[in-house]
Amino acid sequence: MNNMNNMNNVYSLYKCRVLRVYDLTEEEKLFLFRFEDAEIAETWTFTPGQFVQLTITGLGEVPISICSSPMRRGFFELCIKKAGRVTDKIHELQPGDVVGVRGPYGNGFPVQEFEEKDLLLIACGIGMAPLRSVFMYAIDNRWKFGNITVINSAKTGKRLLFRKELEAMRDVAEAENIRIIQTVTRDPDWPGRVGRAQEHIKYANTSPENAYVCVCGPPQAYHDIFTKLIENGYNPRNIYVTLERRMKCGVGKCGHCIAGSSTFLKYICIDGPVFGYYDIISTPGLI
Amino acid sequence: MRYVKIKGDKIYEFLERLKNYGKLYAPVKISEKFYDRKEIDDVGEIAFDYQRTIMPAKKYFIPPCEEMFEIDMEENEYREKLEEVEPFVIFGMHACEIVALRILDGVYLNEYPDIYYERRRKAGIIIGLSCLPDEYCFCNLRRTDFVDIGFDLFLHELPDGYLARVGSPKGHKIVDENPDIFEEVRQEDIDAFRAFEEKRQEMFKFKGSFDNIRYILELTMQDKLWDEESEKCLGCGNCTMTCPTCRCYDVQDIPEIGGKKGKRIRFWDSCQFRSHGLVAGGHNFRETKRDRFLNRYICKNSYFYPLGTSYCVGCGNCTYFCPANIDFQENLMKIRGREVIHE
Repeated sequence: MNNMNNMNNVYSLYKCRVLRVYDLTEEEKLFLFRFEDAEIAETWTFTPGQFVQLTITGLGEVPISICSSPMRRGFFELCIKKAGRVTDKIHELQPGDVVGVRGPYGNGFPVQEFEEKDLLLIACGIGMAPLRSVFMYAIDNRWKFGNITVINSAKTGKRLLFRKELEAMRDVAEAENIRIIQTVTRDPDWPGRVGRAQEHIKYANTSPENAYVCVCGPPQAYHDIFTKLIENGYNPRNIYVTLERRMKCGVGKCGHCIAGSSTFLKYICIDGPVFGYYDIISTPGLI
Repeated sequence: MRYVKIKGDKIYEFLERLKNYGKLYAPVKISEKFYDRKEIDDVGEIAFDYQRTIMPAKKYFIPPCEEMFEIDMEENEYREKLEEVEPFVIFGMHACEIVALRILDGVYLNEYPDIYYERRRKAGIIIGLSCLPDEYCFCNLRRTDFVDIGFDLFLHELPDGYLARVGSPKGHKIVDENPDIFEEVRQEDIDAFRAFEEKRQEMFKFKGSFDNIRYILELTMQDKLWDEESEKCLGCGNCTMTCPTCRCYDVQDIPEIGGKKGKRIRFWDSCQFRSHGLVAGGHNFRETKRDRFLNRYICKNSYFYPLGTSYCVGCGNCTYFCPANIDFQENLMKIRGREVIHE
């Protein structure tokens, strides 16, 4: 985690300091990090959809999607769900604490390809985390993109990730041709839209024939979303998803994220985590 | 390619000389039934007629357990742990195992080279040795029965010695520095080499083309064979541990008692274990034994682009060492349709 380490060693860690911690939901927190080393801070960058490996000293390492925009050099944000031994400890982090980070890893979304086009982002639950990176990137580069819609869904209003942030920007967003749709499936107290994410695709401001779509959610959510997207006229070739696995190395070695079938065996950490619609439907075991 | 001959009476002297190039590891008989590769003191112990070793040669490049970092808990630091790697010589690797190493190279030395592996790989000298197949071998179907590269020297058995192919600068160096060991190849050696190769090809249980197995396998993932065979499986992971190309590992941070220091270690893992496909929150991508069982067949039979072979090299280890008598080759033949293979 310091300069004594050999940076030719792909497993070496960079020290990062926690700057801020925000509570998002009961289970998820958002952490803002800054690299300790000025040189790394200046040169380190990533593509939306990529992930990092985060180490809590002495406890272990976890793969986490970056959820901020790469336009802010030297800083990055991670939205972390309390889901296990290491992430429980991460939730105890306070501003000033130091963690180890390596990465970024994975292919990320082909954001250059998205330019000039409309952008539809569909998130279910924690799926909003990697898509927020795409969203923030698109906002930072607003003039490069057409209409943008974000569909953020969760079981209840309290569990909607980045609910307040998205709510706060809604009015400005409409003026900028950005539509924000937040919907819940099982919350009688929720005043807003209800139903699953796919039921709101028809309300998007994106034109199906001219849009790229990014989807992230639990494995069982994808098929229904795909069906609705295609029903609504979206081009399957322009649909991308980002997948989750428990990567131990992040660099295509440890095998924990190997998925696919005998004609399409992939390391999700280096060949993914972003895959196209046709990869998904021709590869059993990917989702 | 450069060819030289080692006369039969010089082979032990040759093995003795190999020690000048590094620690010598070679197969020895360790029990009535089993062989394993060990550090050699007395070259007379070396088994030339071994079929397979309990642990594949990957153990010299990816140790079953290794420390990657030393953790300083007080300073919040992970200090790289790179131990000195002394030169070593692995004698007696069969063609399939050499291809297996090249597959590991493709994974471990990809765009993110693994420094721990790389250092060992650079320090290792590979001396190949010809072999004759038993009923578990199907390297011919995998097109790994003969290697072109990936060794420093490759020894082919002759009636009166060995024909050696020289495959690298290190190999040339060994030949050049030991002129008293090597001699020129004569016509009768070439004839004997040809006869050996012919005999060897005839000994394979199955012959023919096998590449379409990946497509057929993909189309038969719902077959009841997988239900029946996975039912027999004990989930012990022997197949993956003895596989020369299985390379999954797990990582753990182990704090020392006292809590000031610790180490980050990695150790062999297996897709046959339930924990392998678990993700945060408890979802398991390979929930059932059938999923895990089939995963190995899929992974092993998939295409390794850089070499144009599958990840399986057809060594037969997984079948030979399976305590539940699950026959990998037989299962593939059933799925593939045996009748189209000329026996």
